[in-house]
Amino acid sequence: MYRLLLATRYLFSRPINLLGVLGIALGVWALIVVPSIFTGYLREVGKHLQSTTADATIRGLPGGVPIETLDELCGADPAVAGLAPRLLWQGLLHPAAPPSRSRPPARGLDELTSESPLVSLLGIDTTRELHFTGLGGWLRAAPAELQPKDLDDPLRPIDGEPAALLSPQRMARDGLRLGDRIAVTIGRLDREDGEEVFHLDEKPLHFRVAGAFESSFAAFDGLHVFVDLETLAARLGGDSSPNEVAVQMQHGVDTAQAAERLERILQAEYGRRVRVATWSEANRLQLGSIDHQRGLMKLVLFVIMVVAGFVVYATLSMMVTEKTRDIGILTAMGADVGGVATVFVACGAAVAVIGAVVGVVGGCLSAVYLDDFNTFLRRFDIDLFPVRVYNLRRVPYDLDPLWIAQVSGISVLVTVAVAAIPAWRAARQDPLDALRHE
Amino acid sequence: MTTPLLEARSITKSFQLGRTEIPVLRGVDLTIGRGETVALLGTSGAGKSTLLHLLGLLDRPNDGSISFDDQRVDDLSTKERARLRHRRIGFVFQFYHLIPELDALRNVQLGALMDVGLWEWLGNRGAIKARAAALLEEVGLTDRARHRPAELSGGERQRVAIARALIAEPELILADEPTGNLDSETAEGILDLLFRINRERGIAFLLVTHDPALARRCDRIVRMRDGRVVDDGLATTAPATEGAAPPA
Ligand SMILES: Nc1ncnc2c1ncn2[C@@H]1O[C@H](COP(=O)(O)OP(=O)(O)OP(=O)(O)O)[C@@H](O)[C@H]1O
Ligand SMILES: [Mg+2]
Repeated sequence: MYRLLLATRYLFSRPINLLGVLGIALGVWALIVVPSIFTGYLREVGKHLQSTTADATIRGLPGGVPIETLDELCGADPAVAGLAPRLLWQGLLHPAAPPSRSRPPARGLDELTSESPLVSLLGIDTTRELHFTGLGGWLRAAPAELQPKDLDDPLRPIDGEPAALLSPQRMARDGLRLGDRIAVTIGRLDREDGEEVFHLDEKPLHFRVAGAFESSFAAFDGLHVFVDLETLAARLGGDSSPNEVAVQMQHGVDTAQAAERLERILQAEYGRRVRVATWSEANRLQLGSIDHQRGLMKLVLFVIMVVAGFVVYATLSMMVTEKTRDIGILTAMGADVGGVATVFVACGAAVAVIGAVVGVVGGCLSAVYLDDFNTFLRRFDIDLFPVRVYNLRRVPYDLDPLWIAQVSGISVLVTVAVAAIPAWRAARQDPLDALRHE
Repeated sequence: MTTPLLEARSITKSFQLGRTEIPVLRGVDLTIGRGETVALLGTSGAGKSTLLHLLGLLDRPNDGSISFDDQRVDDLSTKERARLRHRRIGFVFQFYHLIPELDALRNVQLGALMDVGLWEWLGNRGAIKARAAALLEEVGLTDRARHRPAELSGGERQRVAIARALIAEPELILADEPTGNLDSETAEGILDLLFRINRERGIAFLLVTHDPALARRCDRIVRMRDGRVVDDGLATTAPATEGAAPPA
């Protein structure tokens, strides 16, 4: 009992212990706030990716399988709402019109690709896309003056030339207007002596700008150019069949399970190269990299924890030295080694627990109110989370109770472990040396 | 003679200072009976404090044995010795050795808490506190209960230290120059208190002192010189002055 009594007295009579509390609180705070923003960002990006990616995508089909056959095979599954074949091809975009001198500022992630004209040509079956995927909504989301003339047939050829849909940002940046011509040089992977080599076609494909589309994900919009599937296939010649088929699922079904069922059916029919990936599998790389950054950030932030641990170690060491005589007194009164050690470990534990509680409360409040704080900061031209960079209007956050428990648990454990070192030194002190200590 | 409470037989103790071994106790025999008061006199450096620490189980002798109630205790484990120290032995030091963060009442209570767990304490909190308050009253410090050591005079601090030694109800109190730091009047008061405790509670005392007058108030006087007991006799018959000790 005397252990607790003494520990609390020692703590409260030494304001320097606040330093340890503060250090741990700061570490816990950072370990809660920063990952919570990452997690929130991951969630938001996930949402955006999900909105621009089909529920599931079939890849690896052999060439020449008619979409109607797939309709029959996949449509048998009650989870499937519809299929949309796509032909995805990389190319370099050359706006035929000279770029305007004064470009508007680039927005969002496509800032990174603003000077690189690499785009994905996405050949689509317009009827099916309008029916099964988000295309219709994306067309209506574009500014009215940029919307295609016929929303039910947005890719209808213009004066006999094939049409294309671009994002409003790209159009603005490249100074494109409806009806303008663009050229796309496409590349192909060829096998040469067993090695895959990327070749650019000599002659570019030409399209006319039929209108704009706008999903909620600027990075997707900036990279994609929609064209008609048949037209693209014809231009590509040999590689003419769709290289992926978007699967729209019914509402509320388990997409992962449905994708697995489809994969089994299709593999039975067309061999093991056929894969059916859900939207999250398809975006694993992008989500994974944010997740990875979050992990790195956590690691870096744990350094604060280590520093806080040192502070606790230093203050407790000081305290042990200062309390040498008390240790001798306690031993003379019959405290055993464990008892003396417990006094100081309890001090460390109290510092850790108080620090962790302050850090958790502060961290949760900070995460929740960070957006309000950021709004306030913007008045002074400081922006912690610029819309321009992250494409999010609010600072996202996602407080994970498990993570909070882990952070506070680990910080308390580590601090107690660190406190055990000076405590052990205290306990091992010769009581006679301690008593002679004047 | 009273039944022996503590018996030390042929105790030797030396300290290692670098490579040289400094013998401090060279075969000390000492017996303290139940309820007996023994004065330990001797020149500075004779080994009095060292002996006291050995008898108080704060240190182990190099050789010889120490028994409590006919039971050998010098070879017990550290933990058992701590228990014994708490239950049966009290210490009073020259420099009081109170915990500066605790007030007088808490310092006294602390003496009873060494082997009390949290739940036990929660159950007996009131009783322990009442006992500490009663002891403070006994040493005449009721109105100083809430003062910290820094706010107390030397004599008052020593009274608190004595109350603290009493709360665990020891059978033996080892006091190392308990009045060494006090003026003679205050010292007199402390000694009166100690001898009253001895009479009323039957607690044995071993008092290390340089004061022959104090020594004469004890039942027995033991003299040490150079790590040996040179004289051990009843206070009434033994010569009380330092220089008059007969050669060994
Ligand atoms: N830890 C130690 N290491 C080395 N020598 C020690 C140690 N403790 C005591 N001594 C030596 O042992 C001798 C006896 O010391 P002790 O403190 O027992 O004497 P004392 O009789 O109590 O003296 P005083 O009356 O001055 O208090 C001294 O010479 C002292 O220097
Ligand atoms: Mg001494």
